[in-house]
Amino acid sequence: MSAILSVDRISKSFGAVAALQDVSLTLQAGEIRALCGENGAGKSTLVKILMGIERPDTGSIAIDGTSVAIRSPSQAQALGLAQVAQELSVIPSLSVLDNIWLGSAQVPLLHRRRAFRQRAQDALARIGAGHYDLDRQAGTLSIGECQMVEIARLMVRDARVLILDEPTATLSDTEIEAIFAAVRALKAEGRSIIYITHRMGEVFSLCDSVSVFRNGRHIVTKPVDDVDRAGLIEMMLGRSFEDMYLCRQQGATGRPALAVENLGVPGVVHGFSMTVPRGRLVCIAGQVGSGAHTVLRALAGLELATGRVSVDDRPLRLNSAPRARAQGIHFISENRAAEGIFGRMSVADNVIATRLPAASRLGLLSWPRLRREAARLIRDAGVDERRLGSMIGDLSGGNQQKILFGRAIGQTPGVLLMNEPTRGVDVGARAEIYRLMRSFCEQGFGLVMTSTDLEEIVGVADIVLTIYRGRLIGRYEKEAITMNAILTDITHPPALTRNGINEAAAAS
Amino acid sequence: MSQSGTITAPAAAGGTRPGVRWGSLAMLVLRSVFLVALFGIALASPGFLSTANLMAMMTSAAFVGCVAIGMTLITVGGNIMSFSLGATVSATTLVFVGALLAWGILPAILVSLLFGMLVALAQGLVIGWFGANPIVVSIAAFALIIGIAPWSTAGTSLFLPAGAGQEVLRGKLLGLPIEFILLIGLAVLGQFLLSFTVFGRNLLMVGSSRWAAEAAGIRAWRTVAGSYLWAGLFAAVAGMLLASRYSKGNMDYGATFDYDAITAVIVGGTAIQGGRGSILRTMIGVLVIEVTRVVLLLNGFRQEWQYLISGVIILSVILLQTTVARK
Amino acid sequence: MPLLHLLSPYRRPAAVFAAVLVLLLILDGGRGDLLGSSLLFSLFQMFGTVGPVALGVGLTMLIGEFDLSVAGMVGMAGCIAVMTGGDNPWLGLLIAVGIGLAAGVLQGWLMTRLKLSSIGVTLGGLLIFFGISYALTESRSIEYPNLDVADVLGRKLVGFLSIPSLVAVGLYVVVALVFGMTKLGRDLIAVGSDRRAAVSAGVPANALVIATFGFSGALAALCGTLLGYSLASAAPTGLANVLVPATTAAILGGVSLAGGTGRPGGIALGALTICLLQAGLNALGMSSYAHEILVGLVMLTIAILDGSRFSIRIDELRLSLRRS
Repeated sequence: MSAILSVDRISKSFGAVAALQDVSLTLQAGEIRALCGENGAGKSTLVKILMGIERPDTGSIAIDGTSVAIRSPSQAQALGLAQVAQELSVIPSLSVLDNIWLGSAQVPLLHRRRAFRQRAQDALARIGAGHYDLDRQAGTLSIGECQMVEIARLMVRDARVLILDEPTATLSDTEIEAIFAAVRALKAEGRSIIYITHRMGEVFSLCDSVSVFRNGRHIVTKPVDDVDRAGLIEMMLGRSFEDMYLCRQQGATGRPALAVENLGVPGVVHGFSMTVPRGRLVCIAGQVGSGAHTVLRALAGLELATGRVSVDDRPLRLNSAPRARAQGIHFISENRAAEGIFGRMSVADNVIATRLPAASRLGLLSWPRLRREAARLIRDAGVDERRLGSMIGDLSGGNQQKILFGRAIGQTPGVLLMNEPTRGVDVGARAEIYRLMRSFCEQGFGLVMTSTDLEEIVGVADIVLTIYRGRLIGRYEKEAITMNAILTDITHPPALTRNGINEAAAAS
Repeated sequence: MSQSGTITAPAAAGGTRPGVRWGSLAMLVLRSVFLVALFGIALASPGFLSTANLMAMMTSAAFVGCVAIGMTLITVGGNIMSFSLGATVSATTLVFVGALLAWGILPAILVSLLFGMLVALAQGLVIGWFGANPIVVSIAAFALIIGIAPWSTAGTSLFLPAGAGQEVLRGKLLGLPIEFILLIGLAVLGQFLLSFTVFGRNLLMVGSSRWAAEAAGIRAWRTVAGSYLWAGLFAAVAGMLLASRYSKGNMDYGATFDYDAITAVIVGGTAIQGGRGSILRTMIGVLVIEVTRVVLLLNGFRQEWQYLISGVIILSVILLQTTVARK
Repeated sequence: MPLLHLLSPYRRPAAVFAAVLVLLLILDGGRGDLLGSSLLFSLFQMFGTVGPVALGVGLTMLIGEFDLSVAGMVGMAGCIAVMTGGDNPWLGLLIAVGIGLAAGVLQGWLMTRLKLSSIGVTLGGLLIFFGISYALTESRSIEYPNLDVADVLGRKLVGFLSIPSLVAVGLYVVVALVFGMTKLGRDLIAVGSDRRAAVSAGVPANALVIATFGFSGALAALCGTLLGYSLASAAPTGLANVLVPATTAAILGGVSLAGGTGRPGGIALGALTICLLQAGLNALGMSSYAHEILVGLVMLTIAILDGSRFSIRIDELRLSLRRS
C-alpha cells in the first residue's frame, strides 16, 4: 500500500507556545487511524493545518507523494481533505439536501439540479442513511442524524482523507453504531480516516492503528493490536496510570440534602423522583437526550418544571435560579464557556461571582474582604494563586472548572449539581476534580452529577440512577453498580428501542 | 491600563502573557500621545484659555456627559447602545418646563426625574424580561417619543419666563458652572455604582455573559432594567439642565446626544460587547469630544465638521483596540 | 396561541399588512377618503424611497449584522448626486452609487478583516457620512437646478408606478429571484444562522459579508440620489427619516436581528406595510405624529415577540395560572 497522506517534520508555535514540534505521520489508503492525546497535545492544531485554517511554521505535507501547500479550506477541499469538526456545522434552517451541498465547490450558481439531488441521495445510502428525507429541515434532525448529514457532505465532495473530530462525543449508542457503520463503509471504499477520540473503547473497536500525541509531539504510532488500554493511557499521560478514582463513601449519613418528588419538565422529564443523602455522590446515568441534564437544570431553576422538591427538608420553589441559589443549590453547567465562566473577567472576579451579597452591607461591597476571600478560594480549589489576576479565558479547561467548583467552597453545605463535570478536562486535571468532589462530600454537601461516560460513572458514584426518555429506570448502590446493568437500563426497554432514542433526543 | 472590570492590580498578573501587557502598554502610549497632541493644539488655539470659553465648555460637556454616564452603564450591561436617550433628554425639557410652569421648581425636578426613569425603565424591562433586542427597542422608543412629545405640545417649543425658578440649575458654585459640578457628582456616583455596589458588579457580569450570570443565580433582567433606570435618571438631569440654561423646552435639544455619548463611551475604552468599562474614562471621552469641537470652532471650522471628526475617532479607536489586542 | 402564530417570522409580513389595512379602513369609517385615487400612487412613491434601503438593511440583518450607516449614506449620496449631477443626472447617479458601493465594501472589509462588530464599524461610518454631508452642504439644503429630472421622476408611468417605484419593484424582483434560484441565497442564510458552521462547510462567508454591505451601501446611495433628484434639493437626513422606517420594514418582513430568518419577498411586504400606513394616514388627514407612534408601537410589539425569552415568559405565566 502507498501512503496517501504524509506529514513531514511539521512545527507550529503560537507566540511562545509550541503547539506542534517536529511531527511526522503517514496515512495509508483505506486506513482508519485514531489520534489520541490529552487536550492541548496538538491534535487539533494538526487538523487545522491539514484543513488550511492554520499554516505550519516549518515542515511539509505531501498527498500521493506530491508535496502540496494548503493555504485555505477551499484548497484543502480541492485536494480531497475534509473534516467533520467537533462542533456541528449543519444549518438548521436549510434542508438536508442544501446542507449536504453547502460550501461545495462543484455546485454551479444555479444550484437546484436533479443530478445533485441524486448524488446526495446516493451518498446518504452508502453510509446507511438512505431513508432520510432530502427536503426535511435540518433543524428537526437529532444530533446523530446531523452528524450523518455532515459525513454525507464529505462523501459528495469525494474526499479521500476524512478527519472526524470526536464525532461520538455527544451521541447515543444507536447513533454511535450508525456512525461506526458509516466509517467502515468509507474504509471499504478505500478512503482513509483520521479519527480523533477520547474514548478508549472506540480506538480498539473501530481503528486499525493509533497515533499518540503528547505536549505537541508525536510519541508513537502502532497498530491497535500491539497496544492495550493501560498502555495507551500511559503513553498519553507520559507516566504510569495510578488509580484516578477514589474509594466510595461508607457509613451512615444524616437526613437527605435533597429530596425530589415527581419532577416534570414538559416533553423531557416525567415523574422523576430521587433522594440525595448528605455526603454522597449520586450519578444520573443516561444517554444524550435522555433528560439527565434537564433534571439538574430544572433543579437549578433554569428550566420550567413542576414537582415537589425540598432542600434540607425545606421546600424549594422551582423555576427561579436565584431562589435555588439562596437555598444552597450550586450548579455547574455542561456548557462551561457559555453558562459557566465570565470569559472577559479575571479569575478573582469569577470565583467570587456568587458571594457578592454576602460580602456587602446595604449593597456596598467590601473589597479587602473580597480580595482575601478570592485568594483563599482559588488556593483551596487547587489553582495557582498567581493566576488570580489572569483572564479566566486564558486558563485550561480543567483550571476553569476548578474555579467554578471554588464558588461553592466554604459555603454552608448544600447541594452541588454538576452536568458533565469533566467534559473538556484532560486526564490529569480530572483526578483533581474528583478529589474536590470528595472533599465536598466530606463537608456534608449532597452531590449529583450527570455523565455520558460510563467508565467515569462506575468509577466515582456512590449511588447510580438510570434514566431513559425522561423516566427513572433503576437505582444501584455499592457492588450493584456495574457497567452492564447501567448500559442495559439506559439503552433499554426493548419494546421502545425502534424510534425511542431519536424522539427523546429531538425532544430535549 | 487597569480596567475597572478586574479587581486586581495589573502587577499581580505575574506576567503570564507578556503579549497582552505589551499590547495594553502600546495602547496607553497611543492614547497619551493622542491626548497630549489634542491638548497641545487646544492650548495653541487663540482664545482657548479664556474664561468664557472654558465656562462654555464645562457647561456643554455637562449636557453630553450626563447622557454618556447612562450610556456607559447600558453598554457595560451588554446592550450595546441606545438611540432613545437623546430623545428622552429632549422630551424631558418639555416635561420640565411644563411642570415648572404649573407647580414650581421642586415638583418640576421630581416629575422630570421620574419621567426619564420611567421611559428608560420601560425599555429596560422589555429588554431584560423578554430578552428583546436593545437596538430595535431603542429605535421603537425613539419613534414613540418623537411621535408623542410634539403631539402633546402641538409641535411648538415651550418657553420659560425669567424668574420661574430655573435659575437654581444654571448659576455658579465656587466659580464653576453648576452644571459642571453636577456632572462631576454624577460621574462619581456612576463610578461608585459600578465599582462598589452589588448592582454594579452584577451589571459587569451580566454584560460579560448573561447565561453564566443567570446560572450563577443573578437576576439578570433586574440588573439590566436597573441600568436603564439609572440611564433614564441621568438623561433627565441633562434635560433639566438644558431647559434651565436656555429657558426653553424643545424637541431638537437632544438630537445629537446619542452619537456624542456613544463616541465618548467608545473613546473611553468601554468594551462594545459589554462586561468591561469605566465611567471616569468615559468622562475623558467627553472631554476629548468637547475639546475637539471647541478647537474646530476656534480655528474657523464650522461645527458640522464635528460629526466627521467623531466618526473618524470612533472608527480609529475601534480599529486600534482590535489591532493592538491582536499583536 | 393561534394569534401569536400569525406573528411568527414567516407569516408575519402578510398578517401585519392585513392588520394595517383593516386599521386604516376602520379609521376611515366608510367615508371613502382612504381609497381615493392617489393612495396607491403615493404608497408606491414612498416604496420607491423606503424599499431599497429596507432591502439593504434587511439583507445585512439576515446575515446577522446590522448596517447603521445607511442613515448617513442616503443623505450623503443625495448631496453628492445633486452637486455633481447638475449637467448630467446619470453622472451624478453613477458617482453617488459608486461611492455608496465603495463605502459599503470598505466597511465590510474592515469588519471581516479585523473581526469587528458591524455595529461599531457602521456607527463610525454613519457619523462620517453625516459629517461629510453636513460639511458639503454647510447645514443648508442645496438646490438641484435640473428641474426636468424631478418632473420625470414624479410622473406616473403605468397606472400607479413611477420611475423610482419601478426601480424599487424591479430591484426586489431581481433580488428575490437571485435569492431563490442561486446558491447565493442558501449561502447567505447559512452565514446568517451560523457563521462558524458556514465557514467550516466551505462557504466564503467573508466575501458574502463584504458584498452584502457593498450592496446595502449602493442601495442607500441609489435611494438618496432618487430622493435628491425628485425633491430637486438635498439635505442631510436624520435617523427618523431613513433608519426607523427601513429597520421597521425589515423586521415586519420577518427578519430578526439574530440573523438567518427572513426573505426578500417578506422585506418587500414589510416595506409596503410601512408605506401603506404612512400613505393611508396622510390620506385620512391624520398628523404625521400618529405615524411615528404607530410605527413605534408595532416595532416594540415585534421586538417583544422576537425576544429570546418571550416564549419562556409565556410558559411561566401559563404554569402559574394553572397552579392558582
